[in-house]
Amino acid sequence: MYYPYILKELQHRRNRTLVNILGIAVGIALFVSINATSAAYKKAVNQPFKNLGADLVVQRTIKKTVDSGQAPRTMRGIRLPFSNQLLSPKDLQGLHGIEGVDSAAYSLLLWEFAPRGFRTIMGMDPEHPDLGPVKVKDWLEKGRFPEKQGEVVLEKHFAKFNHVHLGDIFKISGRPFRVVGLLEIKEGSQIAATNMYLPLEAAQTLLEGGANAVNMVYLRLKNPSMVNRVKSQISRQIRGVSVSSSDSFLELMGGVSMISSRFSLMASLAALIGAVLLIMKTMLSNLLERSKEIGILKAVGWSHGEVQKQLMGEVFVQAIVGGLLGVLIGYIISYLLGFLSISIPVPWNLNPLPAMAKQAVAAAHVVRLPVKVSFRLASTSIALALMVGCVTGYVLGRRTVKMKPADILRQL
Amino acid sequence: MSKEAILEGMDLRKEYGTLCVVKGVSLTVEKGEFISIVGKSGSGKTTLLSLLSGLERSTNGRVILNGKDITAASEDELALFRRENVGFIFQSFNLIPTLSAWENVALPLFPVKMPEEKRRSRALDLLGQMEMEHRVEHLPSALSGGEKQRVAIARALINNPKIVFADEPTGNLDSKTGEAIMDILKNLHADNGMSLLMVTHDAELSKEADRTIRMQDGEVVS
Repeated sequence: MYYPYILKELQHRRNRTLVNILGIAVGIALFVSINATSAAYKKAVNQPFKNLGADLVVQRTIKKTVDSGQAPRTMRGIRLPFSNQLLSPKDLQGLHGIEGVDSAAYSLLLWEFAPRGFRTIMGMDPEHPDLGPVKVKDWLEKGRFPEKQGEVVLEKHFAKFNHVHLGDIFKISGRPFRVVGLLEIKEGSQIAATNMYLPLEAAQTLLEGGANAVNMVYLRLKNPSMVNRVKSQISRQIRGVSVSSSDSFLELMGGVSMISSRFSLMASLAALIGAVLLIMKTMLSNLLERSKEIGILKAVGWSHGEVQKQLMGEVFVQAIVGGLLGVLIGYIISYLLGFLSISIPVPWNLNPLPAMAKQAVAAAHVVRLPVKVSFRLASTSIALALMVGCVTGYVLGRRTVKMKPADILRQL
Repeated sequence: MSKEAILEGMDLRKEYGTLCVVKGVSLTVEKGEFISIVGKSGSGKTTLLSLLSGLERSTNGRVILNGKDITAASEDELALFRRENVGFIFQSFNLIPTLSAWENVALPLFPVKMPEEKRRSRALDLLGQMEMEHRVEHLPSALSGGEKQRVAIARALINNPKIVFADEPTGNLDSKTGEAIMDILKNLHADNGMSLLMVTHDAELSKEADRTIRMQDGEVVS
C-alpha cells in the first residue's frame, strides 16, 4: 500500500470523499446519540432506586379504590396510603427467604389528613443506613437526623411553607416533635419525597395499633441482574404484594420507553446501513470512473490483492475520519441533549402522595437527562465505522477482481 | 524455442464470441531484437501484443516469455510476471493523474517492499535519462504529450524489463515529438540491447525496426 497515493486520490476526488466522510459521520453520530440517549433514559429511570440504594420495593396495595381520585369523606388523621397497606410478619419473613436478596430495609409511609390539607410522613429504618428512605440523611442541609422519640426532620420547602424553623416544635397528629433537621430532596428521588422523616419506631406510634407496622420494604440484591428472577419469585411466593423496580417507570413511559429498547437498536442499525449503502454507492461509481486507473495498475504488475489493498486503504481512511467525526458530532448532540429535562412519571404505587392530591397529577419526577458518551460507546462506534469500511472494501474487491487490464485498456 | 528467443508465441488464436481477431499467429522475438508489427486498424496487432505480453489470454496457442510458459498462469501470476519481466508503453500514456511524474515512474514498484528512497532514486535516475529531471514533481496534467510519453517510457524501464511492448508509442504525438520519442526507443534498444516489440500503423516508423511483421485480418501476411 502506498499511503501518499491514498491521500492524493482522496484529495483529488474531494467532493466524493467529503460525501463519504459525511455519510459515515452522520450514521455514526446518529448511532452515538441514539445509544447515549437510550442509556441516559435507562439511567434516569434507575435514578430513584439508585438514590435509595435499592433494586426492588415491595408493597401491598388496595387497587380498586386508588384510581377514583377522591378522598373518602370519613378520612381524617393518620392513614395508610392505598398503595401501602401493612405487610404482615409472614410477608416479611417470606422476603428474607427469597434467594438472591442481600439486604432488606423497612419503612412506614403514612398520610396525615388535616382540615387544611394532607401531609406525608416517612418512618425510616435506622438499622440500614445505606438502604431505603434513610438515605435522605445524605441530603441534610441543616441540623441532624432524629436520634430519639419526639424528633423530626422536615423537607425544607414544606418547612418554609409552614413557617417552621430548626428547633421549633411541630405537631404531627397532635403530638409535639422537635425539628432537628431540614433537608432537600435530590433530583430524581420522588419515591422517597415526603414532608416529614421520623425513625421507624416513632412513625409506628403515630398509627393506631401500629406496633411493628411496616408497609414498604426496600430490597438490595446480591446481583442486580437478577431483578426479574427475584421479582417473579416474590410474586409467586408472597401472594398479593406488588414488586417494583426501575422497569416500573419505563413501563409508564410508553412510546418514550421504546427508545430505550428495540427502537434504539433498530434506529442505530438503520443509520449504519444507510452509511454503508451511501459509501458503497459512491465508491462503486467511483470504481467505474477509475477503471482506467485499475487497468493501468494491473497492467504494470499490481496483483488483484494489491489493487484491492490500495482501494481499501482509501475506504478505511474515509471510514476512520468519518467515524471520528461522527463520534464528535454524536458527542456534541449528546452534550446538548444533556441540557434537556425529561419528565418520568412515577408509578401510582410508588408515589408517596395521595392520588387525589393536585401535586400527584404532576408527580412525574423531572430529571436532567444524564447523557454521556462512554469510552465503550465511542470505541464501538469507531469499530462500526471500520466495519462499514470492511463491508465496502469487500464489495469493491469483488468488483475489481473481475476487471481485466486488457479489457479496460482496449476501451480507452 | 530457439536458443536466443526471449518471446515465442505459437499458433495464437483469439476469439470474442464468433469474432476471430487473431488467427493462429506464431511469432518469435530474439533477445535484443526490435520488431515492429504493422497493419491497418482492426488487423489484430494490438490484440496480438496483449496476448504476447500476458495482458490477455489466448483462446488457443501458447506463449513462452523469458523461458516461462505463461499460457496457463493465473491473473495474479501474470501480474507478477509482468512486473518482473515486461515494460509497457501505451499510445495514450496511461499515467495516473493524481501522482507526480516520479511517482508514476515508480508505480510498478509500489507494491514491492523496498526503501522509499531507493524507489525514488531509481525513478529520478530514469527521468534523468529521459531529460525530465526538471519535471519530476509535476502532475501529468502539467506535462506536454512528449513529456508524458517520456514518463511512460521511464515507467516501462523501472523494473529492468527483458522486453518492452510499445503500442503506438507516437500515435498521440506530433511528428517532431514522435521522432524524439522514437530516438529514445532506438537508443534504448541500441545501447542496452533491450528487446522491443512495437505496434504501429506508421510504415515509416516500422522501418526503424530490425524486422517488420505485417498483419491483416488477424493473420501475419509478411
